[in-house]
Amino acid sequence: MATSSCLPSQGTLSVFPFLAHDEFESACRAFLDRVRTARSSIVQWSSIRLQSTGPILKISQTLLSSDPSLSQDDASTVPLHSQGVYDPQLEACEEDLEALVRAADTYDNLQVDYDIILSDTYQVPVLYFVLRQADRLLGIEEVYHYLVPRQYRKNIQSVGIMGGISFGYHPVSGTPAFFVHPCNTADAMKDTATGQGIGPEGYLIVWLGLIGNCLRLQLPSELFATEGGPQLENVRY
Amino acid sequence: MDQLSLGSIQKAVWEGHLPLQFTLAPSESRTYDQTDPYLISYSRISYLPSLLPKLKAFFSSSLIDPAASAPHDGWFSFENVPLKWHYPVGLLYDLYAGAAPATKSSDADASSDDSLPWKLVVHFSDWPDEELVRLDAQGMVMNDAFINSVKEADFVRNGTAKGIMSLSKDDSSGLWKAVQDVDLPSFQRIMNILLPAPSQPFRNLPVRLFLPLPPKPDSTDSDIDPTTPSLKVVQSPIPPTMTLPLAQTTTNMTQSTLLSSSRIPSGTGSPQPQTQQQTIGSALHSLLPNLFPSKRTPVLAKPVLHGAAVPMSAPVEEVVRCSAYGDGWVYIVIRMMG
Repeated sequence: MATSSCLPSQGTLSVFPFLAHDEFESACRAFLDRVRTARSSIVQWSSIRLQSTGPILKISQTLLSSDPSLSQDDASTVPLHSQGVYDPQLEACEEDLEALVRAADTYDNLQVDYDIILSDTYQVPVLYFVLRQADRLLGIEEVYHYLVPRQYRKNIQSVGIMGGISFGYHPVSGTPAFFVHPCNTADAMKDTATGQGIGPEGYLIVWLGLIGNCLRLQLPSELFATEGGPQLENVRY
Repeated sequence: MDQLSLGSIQKAVWEGHLPLQFTLAPSESRTYDQTDPYLISYSRISYLPSLLPKLKAFFSSSLIDPAASAPHDGWFSFENVPLKWHYPVGLLYDLYAGAAPATKSSDADASSDDSLPWKLVVHFSDWPDEELVRLDAQGMVMNDAFINSVKEADFVRNGTAKGIMSLSKDDSSGLWKAVQDVDLPSFQRIMNILLPAPSQPFRNLPVRLFLPLPPKPDSTDSDIDPTTPSLKVVQSPIPPTMTLPLAQTTTNMTQSTLLSSSRIPSGTGSPQPQTQQQTIGSALHSLLPNLFPSKRTPVLAKPVLHGAAVPMSAPVEEVVRCSAYGDGWVYIVIRMMG
């Protein structure tokens, strides 16, 4: 077994591949601290905070733009990942920062509000989000167009009744929101990590790598540049 | 309760109907509020959008611009509150119409009749995007919402959603069709694949409680009508049985008459940890102790399901097996008394 430092927080999760309520909350707090202590220039998000009701980890991101060519098809010409393979690893992050910088000034006043909430039923974090353009809520076609990198689209659209992204109600606010259906999340976590040694924050980071990457919620690798960086030995590729 | 009784309760639930009266939103009508209403007796377990093709056809000649909207642009409101279409209409009525639940003695005051037929307004424009999930022409959004709800109930019952995921494609779409068609035999055939056998207990019980909250007069959001009542939905894992602490077991055994539905065998000698079947009363008491200070008697509020007050002594697992909505969930509305 690896004895060196693995993901940021050490510890064993009590119900892996699920996440307990208190573990979710401590994961959110640790992650928030990490983002806040990082240099502000490395995170492209316009805000990140923890709402105590829920709790909900809220992240907002503005996709700016003035380049009309990218509002045609294909938003995914933005080089988010050059490989057309489903690639859930965190290491993909190092390209993402560049991608985000290049993607800046690409979209017209698009704002994405992400809410990460622990599901009462499935006991895994669920990614809820809305996409707005000048305060208008955009629909599922725009979500796929602007938020889902092309290499993930086919995979995501092929599952379930209307793909892996559902349109439903936010469990706390009761307002319409898109979400990534969580019924496969626990299995995906089990395939990606073990419950040993990753700890709550590590769980959240692996989860963000799996789910967030598909919806342009990406972690810059600089977030983990401290203390010699994370060694993701307990994450299976 | 034996299977025969459970079956007859389920049949009664599926046969439950509500008289509905739809009027066209005056702002969309050529004759303002003089449009003839559309009346129908509609299954309580059904969903409102299934009526949209009929309503669009009926109101087409009254619409100022009938070509500007499709059936799936239709949405419903009751007293200016947009109705969430993913809830069955019976639940919406129990939530919003404010009628007293029917009782066996039927001595409810006559005023409850004023709520019937339930008067709803149908709109074909100005979809409230901030409040309601939009529908699509193919009905995929509704189908997806239904299946997600079925999956969630399955996960609560079994700890996995493998049951619903392993259903054949025909059975999976057949389940939605059976609920849309109110076809109980087809529904039962498919649900029998999903539900554990009666001898095999559920892991947890798919129950959601709906608490109407008083309007918030201090709401700062100008878009929200401050008189609009809001809702709180309570969901927490409810196990089918509870383990009683030893002391409580002893007490309860001396009060065995109060535990008519419990599984505690009478006259056992040494005190062992005992399990007791979860009843509606015990579940409410543990989830909402302030509203349900007693497990046996409704004091401040009562639980309403399919328009009727649910007995506090009813075992929750039996209620789930015979009285769940088509998606497998038991949605109980908490109504304040007095």
